[in-house]
Amino acid sequence: MIQPEAEVNPAPLVATRLVQAHGIAAILTLFVSILFGFVAALELAAPDVAGGSPLLSWGRLRYDHTQGILFGWLGNAFLAFLYHAVPLISGRRVTSERLGYWIFGLWNFAVVLPGWALVLAGFSQPLEWAEFPLVIDAFVILALILAAVQFLPPFFADGLEDLYVSGWYIIGALVFTLFAYPMGNLVPELVPGAIGAAFSGLWIHDAVGLFVTPLALAIAYFVIPAATGRPIYSHFLSMLGFWLLFFLYPLNGTHHYVFSVIPMSAQIGAITASTLLGFDVILVVANLLLSARGSGWFPRDPGLRFVTTGTVLYLVVSIQGSLQAQMAINRSVHFSDWVIGHSHLAMLGFATFTVAGGLIHAWQRIPGVRYNAPMLDLAYWLLLGGLLVMFVDLTIAGLVEAHLWNSAAPWIDSVRAARPYWLVRALTFLPISLGFMALFGGLTTDLPTEEAA
Amino acid sequence: MKRFLRMSYLAASIGGVMFFAMSVVLLGVWPGRTLDHDIHAMSPPHPMDLTASEQHGRTIYSREGCAYCHTEQIRYIESDTRRFGAATLAWETRFDYPHLWGTRRIGPDLSREGAVRSNDWQLTHLYQPREVVADSVMPAYDWLFDGAPDRPKQDALDVLAYLETLGRNRALAGAEGDAHARAACDCSEDEKRFGFSKPLNASPAMAQRGPVPALTISNDLAPGRAVYASNCASCHEGSAPGLRPKPANLAAHQYTMAALSDALWNGRAGTSMPAWRDLSLADLSAVAAAVREKSQPQTDSIADQLGERIYKSNCAQCHGERGAGDGSAASQFTIAPVNFVQQRASLEYAQNAIKNGIDGSPMAAWKTRLTDEEIAAVARYVRAFYQP
Repeated sequence: MIQPEAEVNPAPLVATRLVQAHGIAAILTLFVSILFGFVAALELAAPDVAGGSPLLSWGRLRYDHTQGILFGWLGNAFLAFLYHAVPLISGRRVTSERLGYWIFGLWNFAVVLPGWALVLAGFSQPLEWAEFPLVIDAFVILALILAAVQFLPPFFADGLEDLYVSGWYIIGALVFTLFAYPMGNLVPELVPGAIGAAFSGLWIHDAVGLFVTPLALAIAYFVIPAATGRPIYSHFLSMLGFWLLFFLYPLNGTHHYVFSVIPMSAQIGAITASTLLGFDVILVVANLLLSARGSGWFPRDPGLRFVTTGTVLYLVVSIQGSLQAQMAINRSVHFSDWVIGHSHLAMLGFATFTVAGGLIHAWQRIPGVRYNAPMLDLAYWLLLGGLLVMFVDLTIAGLVEAHLWNSAAPWIDSVRAARPYWLVRALTFLPISLGFMALFGGLTTDLPTEEAA
Repeated sequence: MKRFLRMSYLAASIGGVMFFAMSVVLLGVWPGRTLDHDIHAMSPPHPMDLTASEQHGRTIYSREGCAYCHTEQIRYIESDTRRFGAATLAWETRFDYPHLWGTRRIGPDLSREGAVRSNDWQLTHLYQPREVVADSVMPAYDWLFDGAPDRPKQDALDVLAYLETLGRNRALAGAEGDAHARAACDCSEDEKRFGFSKPLNASPAMAQRGPVPALTISNDLAPGRAVYASNCASCHEGSAPGLRPKPANLAAHQYTMAALSDALWNGRAGTSMPAWRDLSLADLSAVAAAVREKSQPQTDSIADQLGERIYKSNCAQCHGERGAGDGSAASQFTIAPVNFVQQRASLEYAQNAIKNGIDGSPMAAWKTRLTDEEIAAVARYVRAFYQP
């Protein structure tokens, strides 16, 4: 196993300053994003807590929360990881370090910060995972193009003969996000209601399936063998999983609008794809966990532990997704807090744990960087505890709401019944924010000297 | 070998792009074509687009994230259609750029909100939801107002205008429009059942007139007090300054069981009093008992000839010869004239109402036309109609 304090792999190809810049930006924007989420959560428990300021009203915070997580936290962390992984997989430097600073600047100062500010100022679009206004989309697309220019050429320089599976996921994510993003952000503005919803459904799932998931899996496929020092269990399975994923994920879209006026055959198709996706995820996760065998159920290396936990959560959230796409279940739990629990299990569970693991892994390998493993252990437990309490709490809340909606009870009864659960959910901010502070501390402080010696 | 690999990667890459294209075609373009066809085939000939004010209201609604708690999409299932009305047809969304379907419901669906509530109620609710719905968790949008719910800025009026468009086109299309859409719909029996064979608007709060189930008087007041506290007190006990006419002063009135049944079951058309059909009959009976508990013991009044003369020449046209709210002019008012047979105000309240009128209702102020003595006589006269 890799000893974090040892000077392993100084990686002369890696632009470590960009890893650090995006890593720090990821965690700082994460703090802001969870603060948005916390105040929004608190407002459900105590609606007048923010005192009638438009800047702090629930809708705007809700937009900024998820956009911040997507672009600020996950986006920056992915970029940090790409600067570490792409040269190591391809054996070549990224296109240009200078370009890297441009991308960093665009991503944070032309997308995340102005996006947040514009949403708070009342400029946004009411489309899920596309809330930043259209003007920001232009910079997102520009940054995505530049990211493709930055990270793809190293893969193609020597041909793709020996391309490792993480490389495939990275190529897939960078290319298909570039296709899917404009579709999800623009088409619903141009076509009427129900037709726009069909395209929104596609993008809602593509944001998760073509951007977040492939890059998170690229991290998992990278970190597990690198940290255990053993090869991946089956390259065949990893390629099979990759192609099935890119085949099935985009076909899930309409499962966000089951029982709607969108033609039933599209709904059935999406539900079928959602079911099959569950099988694909079993295959991918089995391959990953078999690769992690030997490091035990509970790896000591913090990066590896975050990643394997993220992998397990990926399995759980995907099986849940396959189930809740089924009409019999969707009919009840759709629109309820059950789904909010599901999305937190995906984003705060699978994506965040994997991405944090990738970040820690890359960080350990920056020569001379500060690193504090006990702090990261603390972060792990606080985050896992907070996530599980939130997930169970929201799932129960969703079942209670579903039950009341199905009964003859007045609508407001479902709101009353949910409030204690909303309060508990708001309180999970405590372990989660402390956990992220510990993560930040783990990457910015050193061990006390006597231990480090 | 190397060439073979290159070729297979090329094939794989083309395959990958094809997968994505397939998803867009299968789940976007193709259903979009079907929907586009349905919209044109099923839409009534001239549906109303949004006015500038309504469009601006929609923009505010969008930027505040309203659609993230209130869906605008009634699904083709029993639990949705029972609560909100007939399922959403594609043509109803034809002016929605972008759509506001939503994927989360914290508050109720608003697809058919247009006809449900009075403007006062909507504005007050927008200003401070908890003034009319005690347990609401909706944010207060008081910055759309000049410090009071009855002083909306243009923004608030625009949001109100937008809310009033929700369900408007389908309501205007009427039974004839639905018949046309149904005939043009290439859809399954299930879709027809949920899309057409349900009331257009199933909101239990929409005020209407019609038969009323009998409520039973219960002696146990505790449950009624609880129902009253969580559903009625915010308006009837609070200040609710934006509501015109003011919510009834329940302590200053006596009501027969019939009056309470009617008000609770049908609401009060033209006022902010919604129907409470989502409460069980047991709860309605209990809350009726709690309301009757609030009425202070009322003294009887004796009618005299002065009162009779003034009533018959000034009041009977609306309130009816026998005070039953059924005068010849009664039907032309959205807000029905008070039925004195079923409710009796305190003498003081009655005199005040005659003197100053009821703000927000057709009841005029009579203080310039009647002397104090005459007003007192009419007040005694109308109070004598009451039959407990």
